[in-house]
Amino acid sequence: MPREVDLAAVKPYADHLGDGLVQMSFTLPVPHSLAARRAALELAGKMGFQEPEVVHYEPLTEGYTYFVMYGRCVQSVDFAALQGEGFDIEYMSEDEVERFAEERLGRKVVVVGASTGSDTHSVGIDAMLNLKGYHGHHGLEGYHSFETYNLGSQVPNSVLLAKAIEVGADAILVSQTVTQQNLHVHNLTELVEMVEAEGRRGDMILACGGPRVSNELAKELGYDAGFSKGTEPQHLATFIVRELAARVSASG
Amino acid sequence: MLSDLTASARRLALVGLAKNTGKTVALAALLRELKGAGRRVGVTSVGRDGEERDVIDSRIEKPRVLLAAGSLVATTDGLLSASGIPHELLEETDVRTPLGRVLIARLRGAGAIEVAGPSAAAQVRAVSDAMLAHGAEQVLIDGAIDRRAASSPDVADGLVMSTGAVLSEDIAEVVARTYDAVELVRLPIFDGAPEDGRRIRVLAGGDGSRAGMVVEKALAAVVLPPGFVLSSEGHEIARLLDEHPDARRLIVTGALPDRFLRELASGARRRGRELTVVVADATRVFLAERGVEWYGRQGIGMQVLRPIELLALTVNPLAPRSHGFDSGELRALLGEAIADVPIFDVLHPEYGGFQEPAGL
Repeated sequence: MPREVDLAAVKPYADHLGDGLVQMSFTLPVPHSLAARRAALELAGKMGFQEPEVVHYEPLTEGYTYFVMYGRCVQSVDFAALQGEGFDIEYMSEDEVERFAEERLGRKVVVVGASTGSDTHSVGIDAMLNLKGYHGHHGLEGYHSFETYNLGSQVPNSVLLAKAIEVGADAILVSQTVTQQNLHVHNLTELVEMVEAEGRRGDMILACGGPRVSNELAKELGYDAGFSKGTEPQHLATFIVRELAARVSASG
Repeated sequence: MLSDLTASARRLALVGLAKNTGKTVALAALLRELKGAGRRVGVTSVGRDGEERDVIDSRIEKPRVLLAAGSLVATTDGLLSASGIPHELLEETDVRTPLGRVLIARLRGAGAIEVAGPSAAAQVRAVSDAMLAHGAEQVLIDGAIDRRAASSPDVADGLVMSTGAVLSEDIAEVVARTYDAVELVRLPIFDGAPEDGRRIRVLAGGDGSRAGMVVEKALAAVVLPPGFVLSSEGHEIARLLDEHPDARRLIVTGALPDRFLRELASGARRRGRELTVVVADATRVFLAERGVEWYGRQGIGMQVLRPIELLALTVNPLAPRSHGFDSGELRALLGEAIADVPIFDVLHPEYGGFQEPAGL
């Protein structure tokens, strides 16, 4: 008998609704031993998990032990209160994006991407833009409806923006590793401010991506969207073509 | 009190030099004072305000934004309904943010609310004007992180700047960086003859695609190629200087990045030249390690067509989860370095406007 989900008190699900079962893994800097196993159980208990259980543990390297555990989470969240937030986008497939772009926009969508500032990682940008793509989905370069420019890594914001203006970009995509030390945040805000200073904010969609980039952070930074781990190229493509279409219809 | 000093600005921007410099605390103090004075306010944020925890470091708790009944607010549909405050919907804007669509509402009751209005400067201005039109006597525009665009005279009539210990563990460095930021905001106004100013405004007002132009002594302007100021290399800037040996002014209509200024300074110094770069306003200038004064010593002056009214400076002497300074000492050092701006720590017992938040 399928039970109704109580959206006001959502809990993790494993075997049946509401069981609160969580699987987690971590490493402790202690030698592989029965004492290590007890330490993991006690720690999970302190994390608030009930009935913690070690289902697997093994030595990682000398003096370190890796654990896989189950535990029952007693907390819940009120999902009903959160539903209004953010875009609940239904993502399109590559074919659907192509069709949508052809019907609604009728021209190529120009995207310029880079890892800006001192960030040497271009993996995220490459996964989104390059033909090879990510997770079996090709990047925007492989779409008929997109024209892409991947400027690579360590690109100054002003150079990225100059390129975007030169090629008439509809969207700029930047990737940055955001740290708690705020190191890279300034770089992300500076790009937004430069686009404003050039008087181009209304013409360009700004999207940022990185391991810790949420929609909340994107909003603070001044971007139109933020993409984090698990984003596939067609997710980004969906956002860009929908947003462009919305802007086209808003401007009549 | 902060609210008295800022009363002249119908649209008041609050900008921080970094995250956790106390923008939202300053906003909260202003809201308390304005409520006490019976002023009807409108509030928007270019980021997100009143959230419980910091978006980057969730260990940091953030101040709530408490609005009085009758206040106007521009925030997203989701955040408005999550506040649970009864309200009257005034406008559904077509502004879409990563957190949802922005609405303008009048609150029928008091309470805590998360504020996330438009991010783009033009839209910030539009919702601010809409709130004024719906009866707000003053609109407070809260910044986010270190974003400055909303303090442009195109958007706001006045600015409160927030600085704090979070900038550096070295108090002298906090003072130096704050000084640089204030100098930038207070760049001198274009000092040419009024007719030159008009001429430049016409030139700069074009279709927005001009990157900039060199103005010769005789005000014969030479328009630079698009993107020149954004991305030219040192040798291109050197060639520009050589091609225009009499040029004294450079008008930059858009962004003026530090890498251009650095190359311009080095080219000018080698030629024994002095140049003044004229920009629309201070939010168009992007400095990095060097401040306005350093460039001045290199022979590169900067001027603005429109000034920003810096009305007050607020100080947060604490860096969350890190270090702190004595509030009085920090304010005294800032006061010695920076003239003609009132400096407040709105949480300090000496601050006149501060009262224990007694609920609403």
